Order: sequence, then structure tokens, then C-alpha cells
Amino acid sequence: MVARVGQAAPDFEASAFLDGVFKNVKLSDFKGQWVVLCFYPGDFTFV
Amino acid sequence: MTAVAVKYQELKGLGVEVLAVSTDSRFSHKIWQEEELSKMVPGGVPFPMLSDQAGTIGTVYGVYDAAAGVDIRGRFIIDPDGVIQAMEVLTPPVGRNVSELIRQVKAFQHVRATGEATPSGWQPGKPTLKPGPELAGKVWKEWKPEYAFS
Repeated sequence: MVARVGQAAPDFEASAFLDGVFKNVKLSDFKGQWVVLCFYPGDFTFV
Repeated sequence: MTAVAVKYQELKGLGVEVLAVSTDSRFSHKIWQEEELSKMVPGGVPFPMLSDQAGTIGTVYGVYDAAAGVDIRGRFIIDPDGVIQAMEVLTPPVGRNVSELIRQVKAFQHVRATGEATPSGWQPGKPTLKPGPELAGKVWKEWKPEYAFS
């Protein structure tokens, strides 16, 4: 499955950092709301 | 990332959640947040920072640079049905325009709510177009290119 506009966003699950803790985040957990997914080339770079 | 963080409350107000993804480890995210981001934005980045160490997520989204081992700057707007409505991919030296991101979110939300179409440069309150057979050949009556910049 490849990401394309007008098509379902491929689901994924990843380890994440938020509010001082590590937790798993799954894209499909956000069904029903808008999501902005931002990839960036690395920590300690500007975005 | 901090530019998105500064506008996070506005995005939240639009019902948007932000997910940031890089190939760094979650430990790196933690250090970056504590050592730098929290000094640029009060409280630091308020949305999850995901770790895509193998580049598997970036590969599926077409933004993983295997030679460099990084996810390049790809930004996707996903609607409440889980459908990708917009994507923008930049090479690393040029950062994003968060104001344009918010404009696009508002436009996609307007389209979803009304079925109307938003012409170039649309902002809330500006004219929209109602797609249909009666509009064919008549856009010039409804909309002028200058509207995109005013």
C-alpha cells in the first residue's frame, strides 16, 4: 500500500514520545478526527 | 516542528491532531524536547513525536530516503474517514509554511461540509464555486484570478 491523495492513509503503529512518557501511537486511533502527519529529517534540525 | 507547535492551539480548535515522525529513536525525541524544543516553545512540542527507526512508515508514505536513512519533509492532511486529502513533500533545506497548512485544512473542511469547491488562494469568507454543469464555461463570471491574491 502506497500513500496517495484520495486514498485511505496506510495505517501504522509506532513508539512515540509525548509529555515526558513513551507510548505507542496508532494512526487508526485517530479515525473521526483530522490528522496532520509531518515527517522531518531528524531531531535537532529545523522544521 | 516548533512552528507547528506555536500554531497547535489553532489546529486543535479546528479538530486537528498532529503527529510528527522521524527516524530518530524515542530517546532522541525526549532529549531534543528537553534540551532544545522546550526552550523555543513554552512547554515544548505538545503533540506525539513518533519513532520510525527502520523507515517503514516513511517508505509507505514515499518519503523515506534510504541512502540518508531519514524521512524527508512530507506533510499529509488526513480527513476523519482516514483518507489522505493533501500531501506536500520538500527536500530537507526548505521548511514548511504552517499558515498554508492551516489554510488547506480550513479549505478541506469547508469542502467536506458544503460540497463546494475552493478556488486558488481561497480563504474563509472568500468566494467558492459550486461544481455542476451550469458552471462549465462560466467560471469567468464567478471568479477572477486576482481573487487568489487579494
